[in-house]
Amino acid sequence: MKKRLLFGVLGMFTAVSLWPSPGVCAEALSAYQIVKKSEALMDQAKDSKNEMLMTLIDKRGNKRERKLLSYAKNYPDGSKKALIIFEAPADVKGTSFLVWSNEKKDDQQWLYLPALQRVRQVTSSSKGDSFMGSEFSFYDMGTRNLDKNTYKLLKEEAVDGQACYVIESIPNEAEFYGKVVTWIRKENFVPAKMQFYDTKGAFLKEGTMTKIISIKGINTPTHIEMKNAQNGRATILDLSNIQYDSGLSDDIFTQRYMQRGR
Amino acid sequence: MKRLILLCACVLIPSQALTWSYPVGSTDIGVNGYLEGLGVYALDNDTAKEDPSALLSLTAKADFATWGAFKLTLKGDYDGKIHDPSHDRVFAPIEKVYRDNTPALTLDEAYLDLFTGKADLRIGLQKFAWGRLDEFNPTDNLNTEDMTDPVLREESERKQGALAVKADIYTDIINCELAWIPRYLPYRLPMPDERWFPPVLKVPDAIETNSVFGSVPVTATYADIDLPAFTLDNSEAGVRLSRSIAGCELSVSYFNGYDNMPVIAVPTELVVELTDPAALKTSIQGNLTAKPQLKRMQVYGLDFSTTLGGFTIRGEGAYFKDKYYVRTAESIYPEIITTKLQQELMEEFLNTFYATGQTRQSFHLDPAVAIKKDALKYGLGIDYVRGDATISAQIIEERVLDYDDDKPIYFIKGGYDTMLSLAYKQFFLQNTLELNLGGAYDYTFHHYLFQPSAVYGFTDAIRATLGVVIIAGKDPNSLLGQFRDNDEVFVKLRYSF
Repeated sequence: MKKRLLFGVLGMFTAVSLWPSPGVCAEALSAYQIVKKSEALMDQAKDSKNEMLMTLIDKRGNKRERKLLSYAKNYPDGSKKALIIFEAPADVKGTSFLVWSNEKKDDQQWLYLPALQRVRQVTSSSKGDSFMGSEFSFYDMGTRNLDKNTYKLLKEEAVDGQACYVIESIPNEAEFYGKVVTWIRKENFVPAKMQFYDTKGAFLKEGTMTKIISIKGINTPTHIEMKNAQNGRATILDLSNIQYDSGLSDDIFTQRYMQRGR
Repeated sequence: MKRLILLCACVLIPSQALTWSYPVGSTDIGVNGYLEGLGVYALDNDTAKEDPSALLSLTAKADFATWGAFKLTLKGDYDGKIHDPSHDRVFAPIEKVYRDNTPALTLDEAYLDLFTGKADLRIGLQKFAWGRLDEFNPTDNLNTEDMTDPVLREESERKQGALAVKADIYTDIINCELAWIPRYLPYRLPMPDERWFPPVLKVPDAIETNSVFGSVPVTATYADIDLPAFTLDNSEAGVRLSRSIAGCELSVSYFNGYDNMPVIAVPTELVVELTDPAALKTSIQGNLTAKPQLKRMQVYGLDFSTTLGGFTIRGEGAYFKDKYYVRTAESIYPEIITTKLQQELMEEFLNTFYATGQTRQSFHLDPAVAIKKDALKYGLGIDYVRGDATISAQIIEERVLDYDDDKPIYFIKGGYDTMLSLAYKQFFLQNTLELNLGGAYDYTFHHYLFQPSAVYGFTDAIRATLGVVIIAGKDPNSLLGQFRDNDEVFVKLRYSF
């Protein structure tokens, strides 16, 4: 089974609690089922739109901010489209990035640079690459195949007073991470914390998902921090004006929209 | 030095990025731009120097609900390359090839967008972006360029707005872009004493005729262009059809209009003067006028891009019909000023002298400096992104059909010119430091351009670039070789808002 996440930061870190109260049946769930349920909940919305403030923090504590607009849409055939438009800083304002994902084909990606007024077809050779200089990788932001990992329920542990399942995920073939340990809230199946280990087994980075709000019944973390233990840097994502199922037009996910900027 | 300090201060004083955006009813109005200072240190003492420059770019955009938008980009330029500036007008004379106004304002773009369900219309001064290759786009002929700094100015800064009407029509099968340019606006060349004036367009101090005239001293005048009359026949038009087939994006295009590269005519006045009537001894002086010409051409183009594994492949090619090329200076005059012509001129001179007593007479020559050829230009590019590194390589070739070795033209050898280019970009420190290694190698002439630079972002709004330009080549008739003495170190400081 191949599971695709919503492109954009809503992807890996947005869990959706439309499932029955997990307390009723969670005891019977295996590690795989818990992850599957958490992942499945992420794709409940047909489309999403949000504003994003990305704060890059270097090891000295210096901060830089990026403002983005993010649109994403799921299609009945399992394909997905996502568009990110840069609002700030000024020198990249209007730059946009469009992705069409389909389970049966490679992703198609386009980059629009307003200075050149040209949409350019692009491809990234590695999903382990940093996304916009942040501590998130393209892999973190995009596609994940649940069946390519082996899961193990390590224990149950509280994070900030909330009971969580602690699940270890080891890829069958090490690509970008050697291991990921995820704390998934028992209450709503929204991930609370993730620890990433590199392919050599060393601790790499930790992500935390907090400030959860309910939008159309969907529990959404709006404050996501990723701290890299190896380089001392961190990235914070703050989501705002989140809209689900607003009926985004297909016209948004086109080169024409990228050039027009709206 | 004071100018440089002042420019730096202007750029550095603002401490944080400011972007203005105002919603007015259903209209969003935004203003953004940048202020950039540039300093150049010439590494060769024999070339023209350049004072520090400053460029202010202001863009205002209004989005009208869902049906339209208006964009205006105004540039204010203090150009340190201009040695003897004019101050007779505030706005740069965009109808001229030679512009020596500084400081000056230039309207870079000003257009109105109208959006409908399946078609968009854009009216006004605008820039097109046809083709897929970097910097070299054989299919992109609708805009002209500002050639006053072909190396340090980015493609988007070099491209000048065209007065045009554009319609984009979107269908499920194909997208169609129609362009009509009712009024041609010329390219811009540096002033002849500026640092980047193309040496191939420079009139020499003397013409070697290889005849009994020997070496004829000349004076030069650089005249400006005569624009065509504002008629329908003199307008330009283009069409581009695009569609995606199995992940491959494909376009075909056609353009009918003026060549956006310089074509020069050199009408020449030969002045013969009798210096010793007793011995019938004469002297000859040549007065040359280099005058840009407008030549129409047709361009049939094709371009594509696709991905292959982790690579992006881009290609572009065009067939040029009736394109004019400029012949090398050393090949023209020996062909025209022949012994036979010399005899005829002297006969006419003496006949007039005996009849009228005139000891100074002028003879007009209009050598065919530009010759009409059909040509092919094509190129292939490949991009690879890995982590914080990007590498792009291109091979580009120009082939002049029915090339005549007896009439050599600039930038071409044996009918060909093949260029390889490479651009490597590596980010460090969370994208705050950027190292660029750019270069081009002219395989035909064995010349090269090497341009390494480092860009550091002090803040999100302020970034500095330090780089060097090295050009090597022995043949002054090649694209790179003509600038072989233009090596320089440069520093840029940009504040974006």
